[in-house]
Amino acid sequence: MSIEKRIIARELWLAAARPGDIVKPIWFLLLVISMVPLALTPDSELLAEIGSAMIWIATLLALLLNSEHFFQSDFSDGVLEQWLFFDRPLAWLVGLKLTAHWLLHVLPLILISPVIALTLSVPGDVSIALFITMLVATPALTCFSGLGAALTLGSSRSGILGVLVMMPLFVPVVVLASGVLIRAMDGSETLPLLALLGAFSVASAVLVPIAVSLAIRVNIGGSN
Amino acid sequence: MFEFQFESLTAFLEMAPHGSYVWPVYILGLGVLGGLTWVNVAQHRRGLRSVKRHIERGEIHES
Amino acid sequence: MRWRWFHQWGSPRWFYERAGRWQLVFGWVSLGLIAVGTIWGLGFAPVDYQQGNSYRIIYLHVPVAFLAQAMYAAMAVSALVLLVWKMKIADIAMQSIAVIGFTFTALALGSGAVWGKPTWGTYWVWDARLTSMLILAFLYLALIGLRASIRDPDQAGKVCGILVLVGVVNLPIIKYSVEWWNTLHQPASLKLTEKPTMPASMWIPLLVNILGYYIVAAYLVLGSMRAILVERERRSSWVKELVDRV
Repeated sequence: MSIEKRIIARELWLAAARPGDIVKPIWFLLLVISMVPLALTPDSELLAEIGSAMIWIATLLALLLNSEHFFQSDFSDGVLEQWLFFDRPLAWLVGLKLTAHWLLHVLPLILISPVIALTLSVPGDVSIALFITMLVATPALTCFSGLGAALTLGSSRSGILGVLVMMPLFVPVVVLASGVLIRAMDGSETLPLLALLGAFSVASAVLVPIAVSLAIRVNIGGSN
Repeated sequence: MFEFQFESLTAFLEMAPHGSYVWPVYILGLGVLGGLTWVNVAQHRRGLRSVKRHIERGEIHES
Repeated sequence: MRWRWFHQWGSPRWFYERAGRWQLVFGWVSLGLIAVGTIWGLGFAPVDYQQGNSYRIIYLHVPVAFLAQAMYAAMAVSALVLLVWKMKIADIAMQSIAVIGFTFTALALGSGAVWGKPTWGTYWVWDARLTSMLILAFLYLALIGLRASIRDPDQAGKVCGILVLVGVVNLPIIKYSVEWWNTLHQPASLKLTEKPTMPASMWIPLLVNILGYYIVAAYLVLGSMRAILVERERRSSWVKELVDRV
């Protein structure tokens, strides 16, 4: 079995062993969204207007919630240390793990978003735009939250800190996504913005794993 | 260019009608600069003092 | 040798002594410049015909806001030096700049808010410049928090260095995206006094203060670095010699 296959198999096995990790963010998302009409108004016109932004923010939080302990188990049982000795670049392995994480833990959140949009009476075309935006934007967000987790690996009380550290870097993604949603709402062209968002995601997917691997090396080695 | 813009010192302090905005900003700002200076000096002194204590204790130990 | 000046920076003792001398010079020069610029700006610069006297906050707000951004750039240079050449001094510089840079950013936000009240009628608006300054404050805060959470100073330094570099790549993107976001929502056309026709009697004191604040920032960073240096190197012989001499 190649190293890549072994890493993916391990991710799948871990996910199967702890299905709660997949369910909890979705649960959280649903809870936050059901608070919106309760806190604000059940008026469906207003909900339709702010609904997509609310779903977007709640997804962001849910995504951060489940990347908190992204590398923690691999770090404590020495798997990360092994990675240093494989004849593969560490950044590549990190990218692989991030991809697996996106597929297992982020994609479910995206898939459920059209249903949630329905409950907030978000119009159909906006909800499609929301779905595509999330699909395009979340790879960048996943990379950055992975970086937050890697940076706080050595800290004595991590947890929320990784979230606090990475949140400011989400700004461009949040802004571009809100641009897409606003344009979808007044029916104008969204493709250029989606392309920009996609470019940001691709650039993050290439560059951030390098920073993550650097952070892992610092936190494991100590001597380099 | 170098003409004092206010008729009296009280007019200067009043800076009508915005004195209550301008002066607090300057007091706070310059105060913060002074505060940072003080923090540096205090931290520096504390560091040197702890080294000194360490040396003295070490010498007592040796003798 | 050409490399000697470079290696000297690796010697904490050399830096400590040299920085002590520079600090003295910077301290007095900045005190003079800021005194001149502030008194000039508060008392002798002409009144703005639109904003009245409230515009005089500019002589503190603009220099501080300049520094808030310039210090992040300085921190990025230190981070690069630390990660490429493993120079300890660069780590200490990063640590000092993070705290002082955050203070300057907070000061810029605070003075901007107070200035906003008489000019805009409100302390805070979600304007592009205010928002990106706020994000900058969060980035500084992230560095301070990250460093505080890691016990080993060398490890903390490297981790913070990575975050600084990631941040410096992202900062322009954040800035432009926030500006774009602002045009998207077409805010009320609130603008600070950035009239291109500021008379010399207004901008010369501003220039004096900007220079003064740059130098006072250098003074503060050097002072903080020397204090941290003593703390971190307390076991080394040169610090013990230093204490004996005092």
